Amino acid sequence: MEFTAMGGLLVWGTLVGLDLATLAQVMIARPIVAGVVAGLIVGDVQSGLIVGAVLELFAMEVLPFGAARYPDYGLGAVAASATAAGAPDVFGIGIAVVVGLVIAYLGETSIQFVRQRTTVDVQRHRDAIDAGDVRIIYRLHRRGVLRDFGRVVSLTVVGLILSVIVRATVPVTLRGAVVLSAVAIGVGLGTTFVSGVRVARDARHGWIWLVSGLVAGAAWVVQ
Amino acid sequence: MSLELVRVDDRLIHGQVVVGWGRELRPDLVVLADDEVAKNDWEQELYRLGVPDGMEVKFTTVDQAAGGVEAWANGSCKTIILVSGIDALRRLCEGAPSIRKVNLGGVHNEGDRHQHLPYLFLSDEEAHQLRSLATRGIEITAQDLPNAAPVALTDLL
Amino acid sequence: MKRGLGAAMIRLFVFQGSMNHERLQGLGMAVAIEPLLRDLNGGRAGKAYRSAMGRAAGFFNTHPYLAGLAVGSIAKAEHEGVPPQQIERLRTALKGPLGSLGDRIVWAGVLPAAAAIGLIVLTLAHPLVAAATFLFLFNAVHVALRVWGLLAGWRFGIRVAEALRHPVLQAGLRLSGPVAAVAIGFAIPVVAEWLTVDFDGVAKWGTAGVAAATVITMRWLVPTLGAARLGILVLAMTLVLGWLW
Repeated sequence: MEFTAMGGLLVWGTLVGLDLATLAQVMIARPIVAGVVAGLIVGDVQSGLIVGAVLELFAMEVLPFGAARYPDYGLGAVAASATAAGAPDVFGIGIAVVVGLVIAYLGETSIQFVRQRTTVDVQRHRDAIDAGDVRIIYRLHRRGVLRDFGRVVSLTVVGLILSVIVRATVPVTLRGAVVLSAVAIGVGLGTTFVSGVRVARDARHGWIWLVSGLVAGAAWVVQ
Repeated sequence: MSLELVRVDDRLIHGQVVVGWGRELRPDLVVLADDEVAKNDWEQELYRLGVPDGMEVKFTTVDQAAGGVEAWANGSCKTIILVSGIDALRRLCEGAPSIRKVNLGGVHNEGDRHQHLPYLFLSDEEAHQLRSLATRGIEITAQDLPNAAPVALTDLL
Repeated sequence: MKRGLGAAMIRLFVFQGSMNHERLQGLGMAVAIEPLLRDLNGGRAGKAYRSAMGRAAGFFNTHPYLAGLAVGSIAKAEHEGVPPQQIERLRTALKGPLGSLGDRIVWAGVLPAAAAIGLIVLTLAHPLVAAATFLFLFNAVHVALRVWGLLAGWRFGIRVAEALRHPVLQAGLRLSGPVAAVAIGFAIPVVAEWLTVDFDGVAKWGTAGVAAATVITMRWLVPTLGAARLGILVLAMTLVLGWLW
């Protein structure tokens, strides 16, 4: 992959990573956006689109209430698009989804690490904060943002390195790739179905809505 | 039918409780047992707005809740009881010995608490209170959401 | 209009910047409310400003998009000279219910609905159109919630419960879940067909089998595992098996 494309992915990955919780939260962190744009950057929208779609199926599990944990599927989608770029479709998605999931999982754990560091920082300045010391409050807040910035830049770099290694080393025959892709898509679809059930349980007459959606979708496909 | 959950959470009614646990347990009744909220109308109004249509909320003092446990445990509604802190939990359990199982869902830092889990900070006094509840055979676990792994008190303290 | 509302609005976009386990979004709250407190009695050097900032930076946890309601109403209460103890009660009573409302409307409603619609569009139109559709649908609600929240919070102050009874908000609460359920339901077969269009019959049935096994695992067997870890595990096993074979 070209050097400029790598640079572009680094910038995009950073924006995507920050968007998840720290900055703006306009949801460019969703794989459907993060993956497609990453595909555009590396000049292969088609494979970015497919890994974005598969990871979006996984991301449907994310319902971030309170301070609960959630995998960083946006950063995962950027790394996955880098892995899938330029490869034939069927090869691309299976192995690329593995890379994406690993990065997403590392994202989840590294968020906890960053938050714990900020916790210690805040505890050290407890008295100044409670006294309403604006300078300290600003400084701690800024440091929190910077910490997350450091996290997402590093994780994007890790994702890109991983993608280069995987592209260079993993020999997957076409037959194996089909199995891998089928498994990735299957787990994604199952995850989305489980989320659909959760949403249906929350909503009034949710079951009726979910089932009518399924029936209508199936009818659409058949026709 | 049953008392589904007795939870300590300083946020009382919020997303983890209403969406997270609500989805798994399908409670009909949420008892918010807090002495301050029990005497304050506008606070109750806000908490009521945080709860979905099918769920009823009842505001009681901790003592009233302890008195009601028997009825809720044998009643026809699935019930969740929420208290805001460890001391309130101790009073609830002392007033209602039939409670055998409690959930620590969120106690955040103020004063001189120490961190045990991301969402659980306890002072020495509170840790002591929990231990003495445990010696009475009450099963105490920390778990913020139904799909998170529960942590037993013995692993915490 | 009150001075400082614009600045507060912008700062609300980094509300979670210093998320931590001790105070959660407390510092973000203080940073966002600061522009609205500058003209308290005595100005920025005054006691009112400092003690209000100290209160604002305490433990706070709510939905990021509805945080403006809390910022606005607490700032208004500070300006009206509501006693500190009552402001603490207001803070406590606001965060949970606002969090619950936001989780229900946004995380369990608008987000999955918009994502599912985005996936459906993906199978029909150019991928950038799909991404843009998702971003537009989601952010129309997101930004509207943020702007309305801050303004309504400031307008209603301590009577913020009245703001939450807004008919559009209540309609949103009732509608977002059903819309999300229909959209997810529709998306599943459509996306499944689109993704597996090049597969032969065996691979298609295999995909369906894996999906069914995933549902069973996530709902009943190991609900705490999560999709990412489950995916890594299963795919790693597949890779190893493929290698050996």
